[in-house]
Amino acid sequence: MELLRQASWLIWKDLLLEIRRRESLVTMFFFGTLLLFVFHFAFEMPRERAPEMAPGLLWLAFLFTGTLGLTQLFQPERENHCLDALLLSPMDRAALYLAKVFFNLVLMLVVELVVLPLFWVLFNLDSWRLLPAIFMVAFLGTLGFCVLGTLFSAVTMRARARELLLPLILFPLMIPVILATIRTMEVILRSGDASEALDWLRLLLGFDVIFLTAGFLVFEWVIEA
Amino acid sequence: MERAQPELPQEKSVLHVAIRSLAKAYGLLWALREVTLELKPGDCVALLGPNGAGKTTLLKLLCGLVHPTSGAIELDGENLLGDPSRLRSLIGFLSPSEHFYENLTVAENLRFFVSLYGKRESTAEVTRILETVALDSRANEYVGSLSSGMKCRLAIAKWLLLQPKLLLLDEPYGMLDGSGVDLLEAYLRGLAGSGGIVLMASHHVSRVLALCNRALILHRGKLIFDEPKQEPWLTFQRAFGEFLPRGEQWSS
Repeated sequence: MELLRQASWLIWKDLLLEIRRRESLVTMFFFGTLLLFVFHFAFEMPRERAPEMAPGLLWLAFLFTGTLGLTQLFQPERENHCLDALLLSPMDRAALYLAKVFFNLVLMLVVELVVLPLFWVLFNLDSWRLLPAIFMVAFLGTLGFCVLGTLFSAVTMRARARELLLPLILFPLMIPVILATIRTMEVILRSGDASEALDWLRLLLGFDVIFLTAGFLVFEWVIEA
Repeated sequence: MERAQPELPQEKSVLHVAIRSLAKAYGLLWALREVTLELKPGDCVALLGPNGAGKTTLLKLLCGLVHPTSGAIELDGENLLGDPSRLRSLIGFLSPSEHFYENLTVAENLRFFVSLYGKRESTAEVTRILETVALDSRANEYVGSLSSGMKCRLAIAKWLLLQPKLLLLDEPYGMLDGSGVDLLEAYLRGLAGSGGIVLMASHHVSRVLALCNRALILHRGKLIFDEPKQEPWLTFQRAFGEFLPRGEQWSS
C-alpha cells in the first residue's frame, strides 16, 4: 500500500508538471500526426493490403512517438538535481518506476486515441468496427513499450547522447513486443475476429508481464547506479 | 513583523553514526581514503578542507546518494547500505543544488516531498513552517520564480518539516542573506541541542567554527584533523593554516 501511495504522489507530480509545461504530450501529438501524413503521401495502401501494411505503419508511428516521450521522461528529475532529492527520501524506488510507466502509458494512449482514427480516415479504411479491438492490442503493445522503455530511459538518463543511445538499446529488445503486436493486429484485420489472434495475444501479454517484473526488480539498481 | 523561530524536534533525538574505513574511488581517483570517525548525539561538526578534499563526497556517502568503494557507515549500529529505506528518513541533506521542481509551487513542493517520507502535513502546518522561513507570502508561487536565497530557505523549511536526526549541509551560507543565516543557525543550534547531529561543509571557516563544537579537516581524501573546539586552539591553527589564503591567519 505504501508503494502505491508513493507512486500516486509521483504520478500526481508528473501529471501536474505535464499540464503546466505541456512539453511531452504536445510534441508527441504533433510528431505522431506528422508521421501519419508522411506515410499517407509516401505509401499507396489498397484496402486488400491494409491488414499487412497498416499494423507496421501504425507501430512505426507509435514507436517513434513513444521514443520521443521516453527521452523527456526523466527531464524534470534532471533539472535542479531533483532525482537526488527523490533518492534521498526513503521512497521505494519501485514506486518511481511504476509512476513513470503509468505516466508514459497515459501520454502514449492519449496520442494513440487520436492517431488510430486519423489513420483510418487518411487511408480510407472501412473496418471501423475493429477499431476497439485494435486499440486494445495497441494498449498491450504500448504497455510492453512503456515498461521496457522506462527502464532504459533510466539507464541512459545520465548519458550525454541519451537521445541516440536510447533507441539503439531499446529497439532490438522491443522486437518480441513489436512482432507480437503487429501479428495480432494483422490477424484481427484479416479475419475480423480477435479470438483468432489469441496465441499472439498470449505471447504479447507474457512479454508485458516478464518485462514489467524484470523492470520492477532491477529499477532500484539502475536508478542508484 | 516578528518571525516565528524554527521549532525544535519534539522528542529527544539520539543517533550514533559510525564511519569505518570509508573509501570512495571515482575510476582511478580516490576521493576519500580510509576515513574513520564517530558522530555522537549533539555533535555540531565543521567539515573543512580545500577544494577537492572529499567533503562533498563524504556528505553524499553519508546520505546514501553515493555508494562507498569500501568501508561501512553505521547508524545506531545498522549498516546504511543494509536497510537504507528506514535509515534514510533519519538523514537530511541541504546542498547548493536546489532539489525542487520549478513548475510546482512552494507549497506543492513541500507537500510532495513530505509525502515521500510517509508523513502527512496539514495545510496549516505547511503554512506555519513557511511563515518561519518568511516564505508564507510566496506559498502559491512557482519555485522557478524564487531567488536562490529563497530556494535555500525553502530547503530549510523542508527539513524543518521532516525533522531529520542527522543533517548534512554542503556550503549552506553561499545563497543566504543575513536573516536567512540567522534562521539557519537557530535551526542548527536547536537540532544539535535536542540531540541531533549536524555535519556542515563550508569555506566560511570563522562562521562555522562559531557554531560548531568540533572540527574535521579533510585533505586529499584523508582525515587529517579531528578535535573538539577549544580555546586557544593552536593545533587547529597549525593544521588549517596551510589552506588559508596567503598572508592570512586564522584566529578564534
